[in-house]
Amino acid sequence: MTDTSTPDTLPAANTNPGRSVLCIEDEHFIAELYTRALTKAGYDVTTIIDGVEGLTAAQSNKYDIILLDLMVPNLNGIEILRALRDPARVPPVRSKIIVTTNLEQREDVRSDIEKQADGYLVKAEITPGELVEFLDTIK
Amino acid sequence: MDHFQKFRQQIRWLTFGLIITENAILLSGWWIGSLHRKHVTIVMVIGATLLAFALTWTIMTVLGNTITKPLQALWQAILHISPSEQGMAAPKLEGLGMGKELVESLVRQIYQIGDSANKAAAEAKAQNSDISQNFVAQNLPLPLFIMDATDTITFANAAAEAYIGIKASDMLGKNVYMVLDMSFPSVDTLDNWLKQVKVKSATAASSWERVRLNVRDNHPSRLFDLAAYYNRDNPHHLESMLALFDHTEAYSQDDQAVSFIALSVHELRTPLTLLRGYIEVFEDEIDTSNNPELHSFMEKMRSQAEQLMAFVNNILNVARVDDDQLQLRLEKNDWPTVLKKAINDLSLRAKVRDISLHCQIATNLPAVGVDPISIHEVINNLVDNAIKYSGTSKVIEIATKLNGEGLVETTVRDYGLGISSSIMPNLFTKFYRDHRNRAQIGGTGLGLYLSKAIVTAHGGTMWVQSKESEGSTFGFTLMPYDKLTAERKEAGEQGITRSAHGWIKNHSLYRR
Repeated sequence: MTDTSTPDTLPAANTNPGRSVLCIEDEHFIAELYTRALTKAGYDVTTIIDGVEGLTAAQSNKYDIILLDLMVPNLNGIEILRALRDPARVPPVRSKIIVTTNLEQREDVRSDIEKQADGYLVKAEITPGELVEFLDTIK
Repeated sequence: MDHFQKFRQQIRWLTFGLIITENAILLSGWWIGSLHRKHVTIVMVIGATLLAFALTWTIMTVLGNTITKPLQALWQAILHISPSEQGMAAPKLEGLGMGKELVESLVRQIYQIGDSANKAAAEAKAQNSDISQNFVAQNLPLPLFIMDATDTITFANAAAEAYIGIKASDMLGKNVYMVLDMSFPSVDTLDNWLKQVKVKSATAASSWERVRLNVRDNHPSRLFDLAAYYNRDNPHHLESMLALFDHTEAYSQDDQAVSFIALSVHELRTPLTLLRGYIEVFEDEIDTSNNPELHSFMEKMRSQAEQLMAFVNNILNVARVDDDQLQLRLEKNDWPTVLKKAINDLSLRAKVRDISLHCQIATNLPAVGVDPISIHEVINNLVDNAIKYSGTSKVIEIATKLNGEGLVETTVRDYGLGISSSIMPNLFTKFYRDHRNRAQIGGTGLGLYLSKAIVTAHGGTMWVQSKESEGSTFGFTLMPYDKLTAERKEAGEQGITRSAHGWIKNHSLYRR
């Protein structure tokens, strides 16, 4: 499900009672586990495996939460994060962006990411169930 | 040579003239005497003899003086300028008759030579005290720094300029630790050593291996061996000397080990993520009541996967600690809050073993500077160990208070198996595990090694007291945030960045 609405217009308010999640993740099985757990918990999940497509979808501003894997093909997560959080963007992206990765970052790189994102998760350290709990705490 | 030839001619003519005159006088006398032979008396003979004697004496005196006066003048001139003869006055040249030009010219030469000698001596002396003119120091192919008693750089040679990338003139007058931002592999730092030798030694020398030079602006850091020499009260202010032996390429091979481990960590984490995810699904789906055995197996799978994950996290940190690459960001935190949260996270694990965690927190604790994630690891490790080694004991006591030195002291005490004295020395080393308990008690052997490194990086210390079969007390100290920042005022950063061996970021500006 790839959305193609233009990024410059604010979409209509999301009437879906469950919150919407955009999962930008190229590891198919991980995405499957996350989708399963999130859907069970009432979230509306969209999965995209490509970086460029993921950025386009994210820019549509339709999602409450974006799960952003740092290593996706064609455009890496850090670039996507930078684009989404570009202060020159009008209107700004309202979604909460949670960065996910299994890479170990240098402290300075990690804190730079954490400044722009709303969360930083190491995938191996969090089970799907724990992920759901975490997202539930994000307002 | 003209003067000398002239003088020699003059002497010859003088001699000739004197002797001819004497002979003439004598001959005349003899001729007069022969004319008046009858009147020659003894008196006249004696008179003639005396006259001859007087004439000869005159020749001797005149000749002697004339020949030796120039020599005397030269003698005086040489001794006058001689540094060892202080009393000799300058020669008087006006009194000279014959050979005056010769003597004048020679005396002038002598004075010129004297002058040059003095000048050369003065220059050499000046050069000796001006180290920047010293050929050896300037051209030594090793970076060389010289500091005075206040650790201010007074000299940096050409190799030092090239190594640091700062002009020598810009380094002069600056504190050496400002110019050389060094990290050492242990608490044995240059700063510590200098402090000691300044107090108790007249001269001292020492060396260090694998010192890291932190270079600004994203340049890769340099790795080198360091040699230092100290001599007290040097009159030319050359009190301390540093020489650097670069080994950046050789030592940074170790960086590759870290990169390989980082890559491995990523590769291990992906399947681990999936395993943990599927295990969670199965655990949820398998009903405890219908399938207690399967459920129990799933629980064990979950626990094993968690352990694997903890180990994978640890090996990278250990590699970084070893390579002085573990960076922590210390922020102001309320210690009771951090401690309670960590203990909370462990309460389930304790409950499973029917162990209760008692927590005693003093009320007067100042805010501390901690990296919340890694210090959480430390508490986690200590309490987890306490749980694992509790044996049949059901109580673990955790306490935190302000100690006598103004540091926040935290202890974790168990009443379980204790640690034998043979194991104590190795407790904080990598992979060391008590071989007697290894089979029954799980663990990676990295926990205490990392915990100690993390606490050290926070500027604190960690220790243990234990008695076999009676239990153990592990403790560590943390610094109040104010103490940390007091010495870091010029940082201009939000937090304080330390490396794992952070307290050996050699600098009196950093807290030990």
